[in-house]
Amino acid sequence: MTMTQPAIDDPNAASLGARDVVKARRKASRQRFAASFRQNRSGMLGLTMLLTFIAVAIAAFFIPASSLDVTQVTADPFLPPSLQWPLGTDDSGRSVLLLVAKGAQISLLVGFAATMLSMFIGTSVGIVSGHYRGMTGGVLDRFTDWFLVIPYLPLAIVLATVLGRSLLNIIIVIGVTSWPGTARLIRAQTMSVTARPYLERSKALGAGNLHQMWKHVLPNVMPLVLANTTLAVSISILSETTLSFLGLGDPTAISWGSILEQGFSAGAISQGAWWYLAAPGICVVLTVLAFNLIGRAFEDILDPRQETA
Amino acid sequence: MALLTETPARTPSSAAGGWSNPSVRYAIKRTGAALSTFIFVLIFNFFLFRILPGDPVALYTRGRNVDPESIRALEAKLHRPIGQQFLEYVKNPFTGNGPSVKYNASVWEVIAPALWPTLLLVGTATLIATIVGVWLGIRSGWSRGERFDVVSTNTTLVLYSMPEFWFGMIMLIVFAVGIGPIPGMFPTGGLSDPGVNTSTPAGWLNVAWHLFLPVTTLAVIYLAEYSLIMRASIIEERGQDYVQTARAKGLMDKMVRREHAVPNALLPTMTLVFLNLGFVVGGAITIEYVYSIHGLGSLTVDALQGPDVPLLQALFLLFSGAVIFANLVADLLYGYFDPRVRT
Amino acid sequence: MRTVSRRARFVSMAGSATVLAAVLAPGIAQADSASPSADTARSVFTIGVLQDMDSANPFTGITSAAYEVFQMEYPTLVSYGAKDFAAVPGIADSWTEAPDHSSWTFKIHPGLKWSDGQPMTAKDVAYTYNRILNGKYEQTNFGSYVSAVTKAEAPDDLTVILYTSTASPIVPHPGVYIIPEHVWKSIDEKAVVSFKNEGTLDAPSVAGGPYYMIERKVGQFIRMQANPNFWRGKPAVDEIDFKLFKNGDAMAQALKKGEIDLAEGLETNVYNSLKDQPNITTVATAPASFNELAFNTGAALDDGTPIGDGSPLLKDKKLRAALAYAIDKQAMVDKILGGDGVPGDTLMPPRYGEWHVAPENPMAFDPAKAKELLDAAGYKVGADGIRADAQGNRLSFRLLGRSDSSTSQKAVQFIKGYFAAVGVEANVKFVSEDSLTEIIGQGKYDMFEWGWGVEPDPNYMLNVFTCANRSYKQDGAILANVSDSFYCNPAYDALNAKQQVETDLAKRQAITGQMQQMLYDDAPYIITYFYDGHEAYRSDRFTGLVHQPEPDGPLTFQWGTWTYEQIKPVTAADAGGSTDNSSGGSSVPWLPIIGGLIVAGGAGFFLARRRPANAASDDRE
Repeated sequence: MTMTQPAIDDPNAASLGARDVVKARRKASRQRFAASFRQNRSGMLGLTMLLTFIAVAIAAFFIPASSLDVTQVTADPFLPPSLQWPLGTDDSGRSVLLLVAKGAQISLLVGFAATMLSMFIGTSVGIVSGHYRGMTGGVLDRFTDWFLVIPYLPLAIVLATVLGRSLLNIIIVIGVTSWPGTARLIRAQTMSVTARPYLERSKALGAGNLHQMWKHVLPNVMPLVLANTTLAVSISILSETTLSFLGLGDPTAISWGSILEQGFSAGAISQGAWWYLAAPGICVVLTVLAFNLIGRAFEDILDPRQETA
Repeated sequence: MALLTETPARTPSSAAGGWSNPSVRYAIKRTGAALSTFIFVLIFNFFLFRILPGDPVALYTRGRNVDPESIRALEAKLHRPIGQQFLEYVKNPFTGNGPSVKYNASVWEVIAPALWPTLLLVGTATLIATIVGVWLGIRSGWSRGERFDVVSTNTTLVLYSMPEFWFGMIMLIVFAVGIGPIPGMFPTGGLSDPGVNTSTPAGWLNVAWHLFLPVTTLAVIYLAEYSLIMRASIIEERGQDYVQTARAKGLMDKMVRREHAVPNALLPTMTLVFLNLGFVVGGAITIEYVYSIHGLGSLTVDALQGPDVPLLQALFLLFSGAVIFANLVADLLYGYFDPRVRT
Repeated sequence: MRTVSRRARFVSMAGSATVLAAVLAPGIAQADSASPSADTARSVFTIGVLQDMDSANPFTGITSAAYEVFQMEYPTLVSYGAKDFAAVPGIADSWTEAPDHSSWTFKIHPGLKWSDGQPMTAKDVAYTYNRILNGKYEQTNFGSYVSAVTKAEAPDDLTVILYTSTASPIVPHPGVYIIPEHVWKSIDEKAVVSFKNEGTLDAPSVAGGPYYMIERKVGQFIRMQANPNFWRGKPAVDEIDFKLFKNGDAMAQALKKGEIDLAEGLETNVYNSLKDQPNITTVATAPASFNELAFNTGAALDDGTPIGDGSPLLKDKKLRAALAYAIDKQAMVDKILGGDGVPGDTLMPPRYGEWHVAPENPMAFDPAKAKELLDAAGYKVGADGIRADAQGNRLSFRLLGRSDSSTSQKAVQFIKGYFAAVGVEANVKFVSEDSLTEIIGQGKYDMFEWGWGVEPDPNYMLNVFTCANRSYKQDGAILANVSDSFYCNPAYDALNAKQQVETDLAKRQAITGQMQQMLYDDAPYIITYFYDGHEAYRSDRFTGLVHQPEPDGPLTFQWGTWTYEQIKPVTAADAGGSTDNSSGGSSVPWLPIIGGLIVAGGAGFFLARRRPANAASDDRE
């Protein structure tokens, strides 16, 4: 690992301290990381797919509201794909292409927001329980265990039923049911970081717990957190799709899951309107796959043991 | 998988193997942990629904013209001190919340006939997924980078990214309804045709025919995950020193794989199968809904639409209890097969 | 070279498969209860439904599936005829009213028997009526049919006298299901609340109608068997099953493939997909049901105490009437029902020709007029595009849709759009029908979307809007009654009292016409559309189904059991046709099974084939 040395004959050399060294080192390692990622073909494929969907979601802001208003559309329902309607129409005559583009907004938004929530809770719990070995750590660890064991979908259903059907609640439900996996992982990583000698040294130098966790542990578990986050987003998107399909999502929001729910209950299967069900589903698969590929690329880069034996 | 931080017992080994036997200590510790989790779930289950907004009595009498006497009795029950209510709930957690609102029958009566369809569906799918997924994972992990691995890994990645109910709907369209030249061969739902005696071999075939599509759907989705896990395990095992040594010594690839790497990788994978039962349960819920199979999953979807609170609570408890138990079995099995864990 | 022998591997897999089978076999057996296999020449007519019966107890059940089963099991004194709802004899051959309107006398058909062989007499009739009159729980479902009756007497086995307090046109109409005294007398007031009344194979239900229950699985199916003692003759079809589906798609597929013989309650899209299918006859039945947008016109108890939190702005009937002009009912019919319906207007659906009236002042779709009326009523458009009254209260209301119904979900979106176009905001929320009943009862809503199936006699429907049918308080609890708009108009109530005792048809029509016009003007409901019923059945298998009324009324879920009494299997196919209708286990699909075995065998072969290649590489090592 190369270190960029400060110039010795710099008049301000004395003021360039440890912090700058660390910053420079981290910048170098980030650049290396980016370079490795660029070489990872499946990771780049995933990134491309993701950027495409984000672009679609942004473009969806320009869809006029009247195109998605059932009282204002003029097309016939269940039209198969054609030049005019590239993905056909739904049961009210709205363009499935526009619906799916609009759906990208909510699906991605909920995916990201729920993951942020879940990562926040999971990382905090993981670091704290990994760092404090005693009572606190034990209690948090046990708490994580409990949540880890409870099966995901029944818990989400129960929570969504209690909280009510809204966008915010779906984000809360997914965030609250997904954090234990992250916490476990971060905890294990924290414990291994904590055992490293330099942390012991910093403790000897009088660094407090918070300082240690914030300045040392967190930056070191960050790469793993990053990899885990991308995988967590894919799970969040799948969760939102499932919950919306079961009717637990916000009824006024258009998301890929809610389009599937409408299609299913409007008789798309009987009508043979495969486009109504295929389009949102394929979007979900591609988006989730994108995150999975990116996450696996991160893991490949970060975990040296995965290199070919 | 819990990290064991057991200190080894320092008592002399005794033939009788009593309390000081480390395996027994391990078993007791794991059972205790499972029990504590279950108690947590019980408490969680009880209090969660008490925080639902609105009148708790209304929650239980939705839509029915219940006569005032029953309402009075219900109110007396629900407005008692919470501690007392909790004790009563603990005594009989499944029925302590009253009868199912939607079906007008005790929750156990509603749940009991739905148990076997779910077990059948999930059991068969998990078994098939485990066999195929493990085999697939081993093959692709061992021959990492070769064409078989690349194809199978990419395929399983795509399957792993798929919502299982969507895959189920596509299967329905293609194989049950028929698309283009393919005729719809399979039933569109249900467990069997009414009037069919399912205790006869002909009845079994009828059920199997109805279950073919849903089981296939679930198995394909499950096996994607199992295969990926197994593959990662094998790769990790393969990178281990002892494997390198064995190969360096000239031992045959296959033998190393079968005699050493696989059993060592199999163990964490088998336990991971148990531990992923939560994921399995989720799949069952949505697939039963799509295929109109009257099992626990379907009941859950029905219950959430009311919400039929007593039924929902009982189902949640049942699912959690089953997964906790499966985890306990996994831990014990792991402890039995891997002595490193016990000590 | 040590390898696990091929045989050993196969044995282990076969072994685990056997273990699997052994473990799962009892499960398969239990997955559906043991039922007699349908391989005798037994005709079975299977009806697919989307909603299960909630209870087999006639005093408890309220869903339409429940009522259908009650009709099949229990007779009434008088029936609604198949042709046009005119009264025809039920178990009563004739009936007359006393000249002073103090009683009705019914003559019971002689020689009647229940399905268990016990005689069915006037005593059962008197028992049933008295039970309802004296009971509390029994009043819920049947109270409105006996409101004028004070006592029932059976001076002999063939005569029943119903004593009435006033003249009543309702008494000779069907409504009360006659139950067997010898079964029900042992079920007391307390027991009836939880009595299931489900027939089983060992103990089938005791019935007087064309069919009795032999099996029921909650959420799956109901099986009814022909009653050999039915007084109009044992039905030709041996068994009628109701099979439950979770969605219309699955049901339509089942019909196409012959798993069921009739599909009921199909939604438009699914129904349309069946229109050109061979062997399937589709029936769009003239509407006897409507959907409405209901307002909270001022929720209060029957004694006038206000309850709930409805918006006070909706008490203004000018506002409600203006909103009626804002809704494009024809567009809703076209887009939601696919054209299978008519725009709504007054209360009684067009199918009931005797009672339907056209409004004097039709409020057609005219958003400009709606805006004009809203302005005139004092609701000016605010800066955000939403109207407000002089005090600044915005016209922003909660609109509840039903999550169980996809047409409700769509209708609500349409209504929201139409209201937005005239400056009224509707905040949509979806709840289940169970919850909605509760919410309405407590008055905690502004608007909701629901519907009614209407009876041939207008009494029940008109009564919904009376002051007396609002929620009531009992022992501190607020209990819901049938009024879901809390409309209360003394003039309306007075007219209602008159129609309830008016036995002259023309005079009664005039009064009910007036009442319907009153409701149209005051708009506690805006009736959005009358929707066609959708049924489809396998005309290659069964024939003789009866429309009620002719020519295009529904075949099942009628006000009577005409189809069940007259349906026959199609004779050309006879044994092959009826036993092969896939209700039996004989339809084992050999093709996919053989295909599956081939695939499995191929996979096994493929797996086995790998060995030689590995053996070669082994040799290299």
